[in-house]
Amino acid sequence: MRRWFSGMRMTRVDISGVGVWSEQFANWEEFRAVLGGSEAVLSSALKPELIPPKERRRAPQAVKMAIEVMDQACQMAGVDPSGVATVFASGMGDMQITDYMCRTLASTPRLVSPTRFHNSVHNASTGYWSIATGSHAPANAVSGYSHSVAIAILEAAVQASEENIPVLVVVEELAAPQPFKSVCDAELAFAAALLLSPSVAASSPMASMDIKVCRSEVDISAPLQVQGIDYSTNFAANILPLLSAVAAQDAAGLKLPLSRRTALQFSLSMERAPRTAHA
Amino acid sequence: MRLAIGQYTATSAAGTGLVEMREAIHERRSGLRRNDLEACDLDTWIGRVANLEEVALPDSLTYLHSRNNQLAWLGLQQDGMLDAIAELKQRIGSDRVGVIIGTSTSSIARTEEAYANLLPSGAMPPEYCQPEVHNLHSPGIFVSEATGLEGPSMTISTACSSSAKVFASAMRWISHGLVDAVLVGGVDSLCMSILYGFNSLELVSPDLCRPFDERRNGINIGESCGYAILAKEDMITDAQFSLLGYGESSDAYHMSHPHPDGKGAVLAMSQALDRAGIAPNVIDYINLHGTASQANDRIEALALAQLFSEHTLASSTKAWTGHALGAAGILEAVITLEAMRYGIVPGTLNCDQPDPDFAFHVVRENVQRPLRYAMTNSFGFGGNNATLVFGHADD
Repeated sequence: MRRWFSGMRMTRVDISGVGVWSEQFANWEEFRAVLGGSEAVLSSALKPELIPPKERRRAPQAVKMAIEVMDQACQMAGVDPSGVATVFASGMGDMQITDYMCRTLASTPRLVSPTRFHNSVHNASTGYWSIATGSHAPANAVSGYSHSVAIAILEAAVQASEENIPVLVVVEELAAPQPFKSVCDAELAFAAALLLSPSVAASSPMASMDIKVCRSEVDISAPLQVQGIDYSTNFAANILPLLSAVAAQDAAGLKLPLSRRTALQFSLSMERAPRTAHA
Repeated sequence: MRLAIGQYTATSAAGTGLVEMREAIHERRSGLRRNDLEACDLDTWIGRVANLEEVALPDSLTYLHSRNNQLAWLGLQQDGMLDAIAELKQRIGSDRVGVIIGTSTSSIARTEEAYANLLPSGAMPPEYCQPEVHNLHSPGIFVSEATGLEGPSMTISTACSSSAKVFASAMRWISHGLVDAVLVGGVDSLCMSILYGFNSLELVSPDLCRPFDERRNGINIGESCGYAILAKEDMITDAQFSLLGYGESSDAYHMSHPHPDGKGAVLAMSQALDRAGIAPNVIDYINLHGTASQANDRIEALALAQLFSEHTLASSTKAWTGHALGAAGILEAVITLEAMRYGIVPGTLNCDQPDPDFAFHVVRENVQRPLRYAMTNSFGFGGNNATLVFGHADD
């Protein structure tokens, strides 16, 4: 009998930059410090410098979070942000805008705000990114519900390999508004970005990553704790084990859920990375 | 790299399945109707799929109930799609076939209903507590479950380019060897968010939409579902058509207004031609985005004039179907393949007085002509553009 996923190929890409944001950590340095035991101070402050102040006031939180981590990852990698393709992913989309739209539609539908409506598209973040950076590069916005992290990394890694371009993948989930709590109980917002580049022997990435689809059930309800805060109900935070491994320069393998019956298997290697490879 | 296109289908206001759609196009009969949705008081025309409310999901999938998934299921049952998928699973294995579905609003109509019936506590009523429905990946989940395909499953949501971009991702997945085939598709259904949202931007027409006409005054919203099997060329030996290339670009200009010079559109079209390895002058037909909004049609015409001569036939089919948003890409890809199959270009319906200011003119009457290469454009909010190029498999 044919073996499952026997034909699935391995894909190798480099991680050349990372961005991360939650109320516990505003960037990669703070994330590493918090993992290392420094006490996290909760702050919802979020001021992505890439968006001009006037635009920033109008931009939804979902967009600000995404642009912040995308910019962090590009800065860390030292690449021109206008030259990278983007893949945005979220399981639930912008629940704050959905909440606004559905409440307004239930009461005064003709009063829907045109700005909030055009901000409601799933590709709002990549649209703002393209405008802020002047980038004409391809921009994607995808979802895999609770498996959004794995499908987005897979999509971005395949694109980086096939088109031989750097691809910036960003995953995020907002805190769920009240009506959504019965279907998604994410309590804290979380966003992270990885700049994935085609694997080139000469470069010095933070880590090289081999990924492969395998048949395996991964328990997504396993706790994802960072200093007492549980992120397991935030689909984007499925990426935390991967970020932790990169932060710890830990070459171990890990699996992230890709569907009920499959997983994306990661093996990280740091051989080509300089010892001080961080921001 | 080129991909074989196997079985394909589309369902829209212009017809459930290919036969009805073909008749509507050949007879130049629009599927649009005056807005008759109970929950919506807007004075406009809509592209509603008849009797969609009565479609019953398979017993095992009733937990995924939503108008959008009813449309996804209705569409899957047309044109032998389910049989073709079953045959593919049998032959190459369910894990070697991926699923990529485009949508702009997923099952939002169901979420809107839940919000109209919230409990005093602020929670959704129990019958609406459907975690796999109130999210962006709902159509991807539905199609994977309904077909039993076990390859990677992804939903793309980039507004009106969503189900054109499914072809681009599928080409990368197959070229990379991630899978051998992908079921691509698009599903978007009528919902209040879109109707009142486009109304707030003053983009909804009170009349039948008139793409590329000087009197055009906005879009008609439609709903649609379509699918196509894409595979490595040696996997489908009787394929009639091939996907030759795709182009994807960003405008870097505005969230809801296209780039004034059509820069993103030109980039997407040029890239698609480059990937296909053909020159603009060999394209015989272009199915345009052609929404009938003031800005889209003006800028799309401007972009076309930069690449094509007027020997290239181009038309919008939105006046048959309405603007199917996230499903427009697959719907118009299928209309393009059907034009190639029968050698009949659909002339732009309702374009009675072509805008004289345009540098490029669309074809207004149906034209019978063999088509070797054809192209389709899809442009979305956020300045998100996608173009596809198709050819004959034996060419």
